[in-house]
Amino acid sequence: MTVIRAILALARREFIRFIRQPQRVVGSIGQPVLFWLFLGTGFTGSFRPPEMEGVSYLEFFYPGVLVMMLLFSSIFSSITVIEDRDQGFLQGVLVAPVPRFTIVFGKVLGGTLIAMTQAVLFLMLLPFLGLSISVGGVAMILLMLLLTAFGFTALGFLCAWSMKSTAGFHAIMMVFLMPLWLLSGALFPIQHVPGWLHGVMAANPVSYALVLLRLPFYHTVPQILNDPDFGVALGVVVLWVCVCLGLALIRVERRERGVQRT
Amino acid sequence: MIRIHDLTHIYPAPRRQAPRVALSHFDLNVGAGEFCTLSGPNGSGKSTLFRILCGLLLPSAGSVIIGGHDLVRAPHMARRIMGVVFQSPAVDKQLSVSENLTIHAALYNGLEGSVGQRMAEALEWTELKNRLHQRVETLSGGLARQLELAKCLLTRPQILLLDEPTTGLDPASRRNFLDVLKTLQRERGMTVLMTTHIFSEAEEADRVVIMKNGELLACDSPQRLRNRMGREMVVVVPDDPEAMVRALTQDMGMQPLRFRDEVRLEGMGPEESLPLLEAVLSRYRPEIRSIAIKQAALEDVFIHMTGGGAKDAEETS
Repeated sequence: MTVIRAILALARREFIRFIRQPQRVVGSIGQPVLFWLFLGTGFTGSFRPPEMEGVSYLEFFYPGVLVMMLLFSSIFSSITVIEDRDQGFLQGVLVAPVPRFTIVFGKVLGGTLIAMTQAVLFLMLLPFLGLSISVGGVAMILLMLLLTAFGFTALGFLCAWSMKSTAGFHAIMMVFLMPLWLLSGALFPIQHVPGWLHGVMAANPVSYALVLLRLPFYHTVPQILNDPDFGVALGVVVLWVCVCLGLALIRVERRERGVQRT
Repeated sequence: MIRIHDLTHIYPAPRRQAPRVALSHFDLNVGAGEFCTLSGPNGSGKSTLFRILCGLLLPSAGSVIIGGHDLVRAPHMARRIMGVVFQSPAVDKQLSVSENLTIHAALYNGLEGSVGQRMAEALEWTELKNRLHQRVETLSGGLARQLELAKCLLTRPQILLLDEPTTGLDPASRRNFLDVLKTLQRERGMTVLMTTHIFSEAEEADRVVIMKNGELLACDSPQRLRNRMGREMVVVVPDDPEAMVRALTQDMGMQPLRFRDEVRLEGMGPEESLPLLEAVLSRYRPEIRSIAIKQAALEDVFIHMTGGGAKDAEETS
């Protein structure tokens, strides 16, 4: 109970900090909308993948933008891990009589909450796609977003925990986190890429998150539940979330310790 | 209340360097309700000791018992009765005073009494009572420090650890902070261990610990530490300190101590210093720029014991 209260307090803090920075709110909603509109409209004319007749790029890109939002919001919340350490807030939490996993869950929960807020706002544009998605489908989309957001924030936390500066984190972001999204099938379909790239994309857990997210756009809930692809993708994503969380938990428990006299 | 026994800390070796010993067989007991300050030149192991005491660092060897709880084996129990004020702020600047306190209360859950009551009690002495909804970034340095202390008091700690808490405060705010700290310590019977570089702060402690190179040099009341040096000293500022040290040693059989461009003759009784000053002056008048009798202050004890600690400090910082 104590631990849950502490986790909620830390998560709440993340959220308050988010809404207290209007630029961050505007940026986090505005950027994906612009990406979606510009890239979506721009590519719609030339986007003609086989087996996907009638799917405009705006429509194809929509779930990809959702995942991008989750990625960026997780990056932002990871940067706050470094800031907290830098500005001193973290030291106060570290000396409190709560287990260190409280920090992981507080951050991940807070980051997920922020990501979901943004995603829900972006989902307001869903009716403009002209697809008929049931309430169950929307619930499924939300659930899959939640799972993916967890995975991203846990991964971001893991990367950021031992970082000393935000500058170093930017490098990680560009060469590791961004490619996870670029090669997830968010921008282009995985089916028609060269073999080597297909291999890389198939090894990318975010690809599976995108599979999960795309399904409710075109299938009903019973159809999805009977789809073997769904089971595989869900398994991979759940494993990804668990591994990231697990590693983050192990990582925070490691305390600096003195060496023995030799 | 705090029992440190045979504490040794060795930092792992960076590439191609020897491991650094920060603390070596360090022993210290701080009794319940005691106000103890910890001083030492930079690099003396103060910060390492402080980080071990808060549980941020696990020592190489030795034990720390806080209020009967082993800090290494049961850090959770020890932390419950401890409040820590860090040198750098540990509050969230973007949150308000009351939001910061609420988070802190949540981290120390399961304490007796309601949060509201605790908050009122913790803020009672501060100037923050009418600023509960103000964001911390808008507070002055002095008020922000008050918040740090109030935050710790929220949990009614038995032990308060402070790491150079007055760094960056102007003299008036510093005075104010210390007065409050001292009063609260007495009223609430807290055990206080505070690191400080400022010796006027140490003057008011029950006990002053001086450390150097990870070892304990002295641990005594400010009064007794001053007495160790004798009550007065003659401070000579000559043109050539080296030559003056030699001359005083050889010609007058004294044991002078060199500190920067000063040459000090310590350990004088009240009757002795004036005749000595006259003797030195008559003998070396042309080489002397200034000469004075000085009452030994704690700072002088520190300089005496650490062998010009301030000089070390300049080199390492």
